[in-house]
Formats: sequence, C-alpha cells, structure tokens
Amino acid sequence: MSDRRLIVFNLLRGVAAISLALAVAAIFIFISSDEPLTALKYLLVGPVVSFKATGNVFNTTSFLTILAAMIPTIFSGLAVCVMFSANQFNLGGEGAIMLGGFVGALLGIYLDLNTGLHQVVCVLAGAVAGGLIMLIPAILKVKLGASEMVTSLMMNYVVMFVILHFLNFVFADRSKGATQTFPFLETARIPEIISNGTKLTWGFVVALIFVVIIALFMYRTKWGYAIRMIGINQSFAQYSGMQVGTVIILSQVIGGMLSGMGGSIEVLGRFSTFLWRELPGYGWLGITIAILAKNNPIFVPFAAFFIAYLNKGCNLMATYSDVPSEMIDIIQAAIFLFFAAEQFLAKYRQRIVVRNAQRDLALQETAASQGGINS
Amino acid sequence: MIGDLLLSIFNSDFLYSVIRITAPILFAALGAVIAEKAGVVNIGLEGIMMISALFGVLFGYWTQSWLVGVIGALVIGVLLALLIGFFAFELKTDIILGGIAVNMLGAGGTIFLLDMFTGMRGNTGALVTRELLIPTVDIPLIQSIPYLGQVLSGHSVLTYLAFLLVWLIWVVLYKTPLGLNIRAVGENPNAATSIGVSVQKIQYIAIGLSGAMAGLGGAFMSMYYSQGWNSGMVAGRGFIALAATAMGRGEPVGTMLSSLLFGLAQALRTKVSGMQGVSSYLVSVIPYLVTIIGLVLYAISIKNKLKKRHAVTEGAE
Repeated sequence: MSDRRLIVFNLLRGVAAISLALAVAAIFIFISSDEPLTALKYLLVGPVVSFKATGNVFNTTSFLTILAAMIPTIFSGLAVCVMFSANQFNLGGEGAIMLGGFVGALLGIYLDLNTGLHQVVCVLAGAVAGGLIMLIPAILKVKLGASEMVTSLMMNYVVMFVILHFLNFVFADRSKGATQTFPFLETARIPEIISNGTKLTWGFVVALIFVVIIALFMYRTKWGYAIRMIGINQSFAQYSGMQVGTVIILSQVIGGMLSGMGGSIEVLGRFSTFLWRELPGYGWLGITIAILAKNNPIFVPFAAFFIAYLNKGCNLMATYSDVPSEMIDIIQAAIFLFFAAEQFLAKYRQRIVVRNAQRDLALQETAASQGGINS
Repeated sequence: MIGDLLLSIFNSDFLYSVIRITAPILFAALGAVIAEKAGVVNIGLEGIMMISALFGVLFGYWTQSWLVGVIGALVIGVLLALLIGFFAFELKTDIILGGIAVNMLGAGGTIFLLDMFTGMRGNTGALVTRELLIPTVDIPLIQSIPYLGQVLSGHSVLTYLAFLLVWLIWVVLYKTPLGLNIRAVGENPNAATSIGVSVQKIQYIAIGLSGAMAGLGGAFMSMYYSQGWNSGMVAGRGFIALAATAMGRGEPVGTMLSSLLFGLAQALRTKVSGMQGVSSYLVSVIPYLVTIIGLVLYAISIKNKLKKRHAVTEGAE
C-alpha cells in the first residue's frame, strides 16, 4: 500500500498532538501546584496503579471502572461520528442523552415486564426518544435551512428544563430528601458483568457491539456511503442523485438514537433511580472522542478509553494533590485544537505525499516501458 | 392571573429589567454580527464571555479599579478570539471545533484558573465589592420624565455602551473602508482577494472585534449583573446570542431587536416564576423556545423571499 507512510504519519501526528496537550497540562500543573510531581503521577499512572508501601501494583478495580465510564461516551462518540461525517454540526447529544435516560428510567419504574425484555424495551424507548428529539433540528435544517447547531443547542436547554419539571412535579418520590424518581424495578436494571461494584455492566458489551454495527453501517452500506459523501462534498452528492435531505435527517436521527440509547443504558446500569439534575456532559465528551477517532467508529472505543482514563486521572489528581479536577477541560480543549488542526505538521505530510507521488510515477513509468497495464 | 401579568409587563421596573437583561446578549450578538459579516463563525462566544467575566473580576480586584477590570476583560476576549482565529486560519482547525474548545475552557478552565489564582472554588465570593461594580449613570433630562425616565435612566455605563455599539458597528460596517472590506470578505473572499484585500487579515480583525464584544458582555455579567463571577453565570447567553444574530439577519439593528426579544423572554421568565402555581422549570424554557421559534420564523421568511425572487426571475425568462 502506497499510503502506509501516511498512516504512520497520521498516527505520529496524533501522538504529537496529544503530547502537546499533555505538555500544556503539565505546564499548568507546574505553575499552579505545590506538589507538581505528585499531581502528575496521579494524573498519568494513578488510574491503573495503586501506590502501596510494599510497591506499586496494577489496580484491576480502577481499570474496570474506567471501562465502565466508557459506556455512555462510546455511544455519544459514535453519535457524533455519524452526524459530523455528514457535516452536520448537531450539538444536541447532551439533550438526547438526558432524554433517553429519563424515558428509559420511567419505563424502568412504571412498566412491569420480565427481566431481559424489560431492559431491552427501556433502552429501545430511550433510543426512540433520542431519535425523535433530533428530528426537530434535522427537519428544520433540511426544510428551512435553519442552522442545526443553534437549534440543537437551544433544544438541550428545553429538554433539560422540561425533564426537570416532570422530575419535580410529576414523578418525584416525595419520601426522599433529594429530588429523584422512585427506584427502578429490579427487572429493568442492567446488571454488572461480574458483580464487583465497578459498574461495568453488560452495557459495555452492547456498546462494543454498536461500534461494530455503526462501523459496518458507515463503511459497508449505501446509506453510510451517502452520509460520508455528503460530508465530503454535498453538491457532488446532490448532483449524483443522492437524496441529500433524507440522508441529512437520517444521520441526525441515528445520532439521536445512539445518544438516547447511551443515556438509558447509563442510567439503568449505574443508578437505581433517576438522579440527573442537569445535562450530563457526555454529549460534549462525545465530540472530543469523535475528533480523536477522526470520525471513524472503530477508533471510538480507544478514544473513549483515553478520555475516561484522563478523567479518572484528573479526579485522582484532585483528590490526592492540590490541582483541581477541571484540568480535564483544559487538556480536552488543547487536544481539540491540535488534533483537529489539519495544518498541524502539514509540511511533513506534504513531503510524504510528494515522495509517494514521485515513487508512483516512477513505478508507472517503468511499468509503461515494459508494456504492462498498471492500475 | 393574565391581568396581573399584563400589568406587571407594562410596569416600568419590568421594562427596565428587560434592558438590563438584554445588554449581555446584545454584546455577544453584536460580536457574532461582525464575525458573520466577515464569513467567520464564532461559536466560542459563550466561553469567551465566561473567561472574560472571570478576568474582569480578577483584574478589577487586583487593581481595585472597575475600569481596568472591564478593559482587562475586553483584552482577554480579543486574545481568546484571536486564538480561535489562529487555529482556524493558520492550522486549519475547523472553526466550530475551535469555538467548542474555547467553550470548554470557559466551562471547566475558569474554575481551574480561579482556583489557581485565588484558591476559591466555583465563585469569586467577596472579591467584588460595591466600588468594583460597573457604575450606573442617571441621564439628565430623561431621568426626570415620568415612566420613561425610570425605564431608560439609571443603567450601567456598559448597558448604554451596548446600545451605542449597535449604531457604532452599523457605521463601521456600512460607512468605513474597513466595514466594506469586512463585508466583501464575507460575501466573496475571492473577489476581495482580487482587489488586493487580505482575507486573512480582515478575518483576524473581525474575529478579534467579536471577541472584544463578548469580553464586554462577560464583564457586564460578572461586574454588574450578578455582582461576582460564578460557574453557572453565562448560562447559554453566548449561544442565545448566535440565535439572536441569525434572527436579526446578521444586521446590527435587527440583531438588537431580536436581542430585546430574548431579553423580554428572559425577564418574563423571572417575573412569571415568582407567581404561584407556575412551574419555574417550564417558565425557564421560554427564552430557549422563543429562540427556536424565532429561528424558524426567520428561516421561513428567507425561504419565501427566495421563492418570490425565483418566481420573478422565472417570469422574466
């Protein structure tokens, strides 16, 4: 393959971007902390190593909780991959996740079904709710040309306040001090794979299955191809006869369904009652993850792991040193900027492309001179 | 209940609060106007407001001068906008992602920075004293007109500046060479290049100005409106500003009117949520719902206009 070098280059470029982001983080830590080395230790290796007097050992429990934290963000990352691939800057993932979680929770409380079926129904309902809510910005975009970015951002707030209304005035369990719903029925709760309190539920397996499904959808189906083509060149897609409007709506509805599904799986797996009092933040994490994964579903779990790892590291750092956990936002912002920068290290890429082209030309010439047919 | 509501809407206190609430949205929306005229999408307004708001308080506290605080907030706003610009124009980061990155800095980075500078968590507590608030002004003459005086007089310096900027930005955009260049770059960068205008330079200027506006909006929020900085302070105003700009067709005056509409919705929310038997949560939806409805109406009107134009040209053929 002639572009193997480009792949290696892209990998190295990603590593360079992440290293730069972490370097920015380190600078901030050195400026702000009295114990920068302790802080860095917890940030970088704390998530998987427990420091004991007898020596450092791999911390399995902590590692499993990192995997558990990936469950909702894999879904939101996939959602963003699909939507951004079609060049739809729909930022409504937050609202769709919260709505999916809420709908799933309600069915988990008030519906009476056998376990197995119950979870499936709850999660599917969450997905449908997420998909329906995304229809609004999608249709407004296609039919009226209204910016999906602005409408979806506004939708997030609408969804949040409407949910809070129902949570407070309709479904609240008044016997509790805090505002929350009644507990989910046992039949609706998504169990842990190994019952050890890490919250690593079967939702993780479902998330990985969806990684494969979405990857196949995006790269092996007509619709996936249409979504990617519209993202690359909408006019071209239009002239070649694709139903651009339908595909744009489809991409956002799929994004909404994935978000809603992630929300309901997270709620039914992690909690025993609906507790979210604000937008959960997974939608924004999903954007970071999609950027790290370059909108490729297959890379989403790795990106999600990286972010979950960093998040855990930041929390540990805040617990065991004097650096606040909001460091994660600064790291994320730096990753955003460098990783998404097309021209970052572009000179080297240019050099590789030129070299490849020259080699291809040379190959063609020799092939032509031998009278062969080359591809 | 409706009667009470109507009465309180025409109350001078209420209209005064509409103007007060509109100001920060207007600042950010004017920033979006300038950016959009140059063909630049600045969705980082929200984050810029947050960070500027924080630094407004900090600079004010360090120098014990509200004016330095406001200027500091403005400068920080410009720097952040130029940062987005640098990544977007030089390194070709998608400008929307650049904006989101700044919004992240605004959400969590501010909490981190506050902790780093002062050791405080989540809000600036007692850093903002009465002397450090942006002062209010009574306008002579107008002040003494009954009703009108109560609505229009006694606002902060920055409130008046916001409305003054509507006019100023209109002048800059339509009566100066810079404005001509900005509009040319936004409408047809190739044409602008062909007559020797540096597209990049103009876009830097435009995004820098938009950052300055958002910076002032941030200063208004922390140094006047909420009298101190806290982490939930801006609450989507930067996003609402984008919507206001879209609804105001990207023109200064139209944007002012739509900003006032959102100010009204926001003020209404405060008013109604104080009433009995009304869910404060559902009322909180009003400004955002109004934004969506406004966007839809605007989009429909554009669509009809295009249709009409299309019909006319087809008739002519």
